[in-house]
Amino acid sequence: MNKWTGRAASLEEWLGFLKTDESVMENVTHWRTLPPREAKYAPLPDDLHPAWREALRLRGIERLYSHQADAYAAARRGNHVVAVTPTASGKTLCYNLPVVQSILQNEEGRALYLFPTKALAQDQVAELQALADLMESGIKTHTYDGDTPPTVRTAIRNAGHIVVTNPDMLHSAILPHHTKWVKLFENIKFIVIDEVHAYRGVFGSHVANVIRRLKRICKFYGSNPQFICASATIDNPREHAERLIGEKVELIDNNGAPIGEKHFIFYNPPVVNKQLGIRRSSVLETQKLAAMLLKQGVQTIVFARSRVRVELLLTYLQELIRGKLDDKSIRGYRGGYLPKLRREIEKGLRTGEIRGVVSTNALELGIDIGQLQACVLNGYPGTIASTWQQSGRAGRRQESSVTFLVASSNPLDQYMIQNPDFFFGHPPERALIHPDNLLVLIDHVKCAAYELPFQEGETFGSEPLEDMMEFLVEEKVLHRAGGRWFWMEQSFPAHGISLRSAAQENFIIIDMTTSEHRVLGEVDRFSAPTLIHEEAIYIHEGVQYQVEKLDYPEKKAYVREVDVDYYTDANLAVELKVLHVDKERQTGELLRQYGELTVNAKATIFKKIRLRTHENIGSGPIHLPEEELHTSGYWFSFSEEAAARKSKNEMQYALLGIANVLVHLAPLYLMCDPFDIRVVPQVKAVHTQRPTIYFYDRYPGGIGLSERLYEVHDELLRHAESMITSCGCLSGCPACVGPIEEVGLLGKQQALELLREAGGNA
Amino acid sequence: MSGLRNRMNRLRGTEASSSVEAVLAEPTNVTVEGGAHEEEEELHPAWSSFGVGVRRNEYGAYLLRKTVYPLDHRHGTHAVGELTEAAAGLAAFHRETPSPESILYLDLETTGLGVGAGNVPFMVGIGYLSGDSFIIEQTLIRHPAEEYAMLQDLQAKLRNYSYLATYNGKTFDWPLVQNRMIMNAMRGQTWQLKHLDFLHPSRSIWRNTLASLKLSHIEEERLGIARMEDVPGSLAPQLYFQFLADGNPAPLEGVFRHNESDLLSLTCLSIRFGYLLQETVFERIGYPVEAEELVRTGLWLGRMGRSTLPEELFRRAAAAETAAPSSLLMLAAADKKAGNWERAVLLWQKAILRAGDKHNEDAKEACIELAMYYEHRSKDLESALAFALQALERSEAAIGYGRRDSKRRAEAEAVRNRITRLRRKLGQQEGRGMSG
Repeated sequence: MNKWTGRAASLEEWLGFLKTDESVMENVTHWRTLPPREAKYAPLPDDLHPAWREALRLRGIERLYSHQADAYAAARRGNHVVAVTPTASGKTLCYNLPVVQSILQNEEGRALYLFPTKALAQDQVAELQALADLMESGIKTHTYDGDTPPTVRTAIRNAGHIVVTNPDMLHSAILPHHTKWVKLFENIKFIVIDEVHAYRGVFGSHVANVIRRLKRICKFYGSNPQFICASATIDNPREHAERLIGEKVELIDNNGAPIGEKHFIFYNPPVVNKQLGIRRSSVLETQKLAAMLLKQGVQTIVFARSRVRVELLLTYLQELIRGKLDDKSIRGYRGGYLPKLRREIEKGLRTGEIRGVVSTNALELGIDIGQLQACVLNGYPGTIASTWQQSGRAGRRQESSVTFLVASSNPLDQYMIQNPDFFFGHPPERALIHPDNLLVLIDHVKCAAYELPFQEGETFGSEPLEDMMEFLVEEKVLHRAGGRWFWMEQSFPAHGISLRSAAQENFIIIDMTTSEHRVLGEVDRFSAPTLIHEEAIYIHEGVQYQVEKLDYPEKKAYVREVDVDYYTDANLAVELKVLHVDKERQTGELLRQYGELTVNAKATIFKKIRLRTHENIGSGPIHLPEEELHTSGYWFSFSEEAAARKSKNEMQYALLGIANVLVHLAPLYLMCDPFDIRVVPQVKAVHTQRPTIYFYDRYPGGIGLSERLYEVHDELLRHAESMITSCGCLSGCPACVGPIEEVGLLGKQQALELLREAGGNA
Repeated sequence: MSGLRNRMNRLRGTEASSSVEAVLAEPTNVTVEGGAHEEEEELHPAWSSFGVGVRRNEYGAYLLRKTVYPLDHRHGTHAVGELTEAAAGLAAFHRETPSPESILYLDLETTGLGVGAGNVPFMVGIGYLSGDSFIIEQTLIRHPAEEYAMLQDLQAKLRNYSYLATYNGKTFDWPLVQNRMIMNAMRGQTWQLKHLDFLHPSRSIWRNTLASLKLSHIEEERLGIARMEDVPGSLAPQLYFQFLADGNPAPLEGVFRHNESDLLSLTCLSIRFGYLLQETVFERIGYPVEAEELVRTGLWLGRMGRSTLPEELFRRAAAAETAAPSSLLMLAAADKKAGNWERAVLLWQKAILRAGDKHNEDAKEACIELAMYYEHRSKDLESALAFALQALERSEAAIGYGRRDSKRRAEAEAVRNRITRLRRKLGQQEGRGMSG
């Protein structure tokens, strides 16, 4: 260590020093060092066009990584390809190699590139155009998105060899106007879909349908393009890509890129309130760690889970370095920043001018910011896949890197931080989509009919075409004539259909304590009725606030700081109605089923509960609209014998305990947000008349989450049992079955008994 | 089937299913598809009552209404036959003289808005001059499957013409026709029609004079045409959908007549522009009343390479008692560009007089122009200073607190600089004067 600057000579030296720092190490629950990996190379392919070879050489590329060579070979064989490419493994060559090669061989050929965001598309064009210019090949690459000036659009339509866009633009601008794109669709040879793992859930289900439409249009123009997809590391890249594009794909997953040694450090903030299981704010701990790194001069990226947290952390960190470093050397990055600002920040990171960046998962995707040395995750990012992606932002080829995972007190975070083997030993989650969700499907059938009349005998998704057509004829949007169905409506269907559902919008919490209103935090839409109803006590960083007004339509809650000796607990009345059972299986005493159901949820009343004594000191009604949802669900019921062994009360606690564990475990098997799936325990369910635990997808029609859980049922229950068993608490805590206030003194015991006796892991 | 409907209703939540079912009247007269049946199919008698018959070709059948007008048929101010005389004027658009018989007039009625692939022109109206008649042909497809047969005939027809006259056809009607050709796999057409799209010249001339630039408004205000019981074009899609559902032709008569009127008006509009470009139009009709229209017409003619008539129009505008300051400025700008300073100065001064109100932007504009003129052209620094001071006063009066006022502030600053410079120059002049 340099005694004048206090700086370590290298990251390794600093890490060594850190190991002796008791104030940090006492909170480190796990420190894993992942060994460096050697590069696996392959020669440039023999058939590579000389101009292409030369351009690559000028870029310093004289050989390929093994996965790049394999992806090229697979594409040249004419297969659809999905390449699994972790951060910084040179994935763009996996598709640029065959695409550029093909255009060099036939300059009439065209390719369409899809990226989930505009920013990624623009990066890509810059890189490709630079390569094309090196070759003086006349290959033209253009972005086509909302920012493209109308004056150049015509030129792009006719002359762009590679058109780079996003699924939204494809959906609302390109496909409905395909007649202007004749040249592209007649000659399209490749469709590149990068970041396929980003297309999951509702968004992914929409995109899969946009691709169905795209293929339909290509077919109309007599082309049959090849798909090349790239994905982050997920559990099911092949299956996911195949569902997304509706074709068999060849999987390339032999990553040959080298990586330096990587330190993965799990950090759990210390407990400050043992009774309530409250830990010190993960934001403050993140800030502390990030500040240590920045002071060492280590280029660092901090990931936070929400925009508000990004801003909070940024403010803290900038204050910390004020006067020591240039203010501009620590920046924020999130959706909502203007493109120009983003480009500036990305560039600053690449050149090293910017030393630290605080970002949402916006930087998780493959935007080129170079490779940093350290990464601090404020909270578990929600999935193993995201965690690896984010962590991959730190890691240079030759040098060591470090990632800190700072857990919040959320049970999923706590599980992860205390079970590092789960994280390191488990494959990342599966990306799930459900392109045949009826609502999504019908929306796109309308768009497809607008684009091209449907013909008898055609198929689109899993529903019989005739049924859908007949339905839309009745809806007076289609007209049948001569064995075809024509769009016959004044509207432009794509305008009414957004690929990105707005349903997940959060509620903002605004503090009015001082005249200067400030945003305190945010709460997801589904939790809002029970957490920030009027008169609720909302606790933020240990301070109590009372909700004075909830503006439900505007998604805003206005709160004021208070000092009271109670907290509030709201009841959510959930009514479940099973409409149809699609699958079922009996194991031991357990009956599990999967099917369709409707959910009616309404926050009814809230109770005021005194701190420490937990006595009920009052209550009040909640007046918020009921929400109805028709979706798919999975549920399992215990036998009547099992029910008979417990009193109703005991059963209640046992089920609640199991449900609390499962709600946090479920996301481990799904690439989804914890709020995308709900768990509801019922002592005597209407449908089964037995003790039952329900899961359902929080999106109309379902997006495949419950179905997946139905499939992993056995593992899920085993997992729940071991989680309860291994939890260090005596009789329940927020990290397992829930606090004793919720599940009773014997809740943990009851839950475990029920699982063991009736688990039915046959 | 009802399975899918029920599921949709459940997923959508609250939407009432009954209302949808209730309006589901079975079509009473479903058109039968398929070539073989069509031959024997009886045409609904109502069609013939407004002149619609079946047209068959080897690709199928569709409906056609053909109307023949004698050349002296008047539609408002003009008779359709005047096209023979006016067409020569239209040469200014493409630098070649179109023969009157080489122009095809086109107007579509479509099922929706925009030029997306799903917007279908269910009615295609064309008009053309042929020998002693002006002929209008309107096609109607009884269902979308008839489109192919209709397009085949249209395509054959298009080949006989070099010019396509439309109102907004460059961006709407023609791209839509092309869409349909592509959608019906009728590509490979390389011939190019030359556009005579009268929306753009109409916009140039009437932008500020007419409340709307819809053809139906222009014809009423400027072509002396009054439509009786016209079905608004915006209703056409609904009437067509209604016909698709119940097969009753009667309500479509109005759509035919509307489209027919549009084509006749379009023809008359082209005659008007033809005369205008021949610079003879005001021998037939009176000069425009408003200075704005006089100036804009003159400027447009200037851009189209005419110079005689614009002079007369400008002369009238400059003399007009009621000219708006903005119109005067527009003309002054043209004069300034052409070096016609004498009138430009006159117009600027007139604009200031007309404006009155000290907040008037045009007057401020005129003051600045005059200050520039006196400083640099006539070197009359005293006058220049006077106008600059007046400009500053007006400029400062106009400044508010809005964001767009930053532009005004910058402008005021520029005027201040001008004043400083003028005062300095004046001082030097005086100095020289005393010493000399």
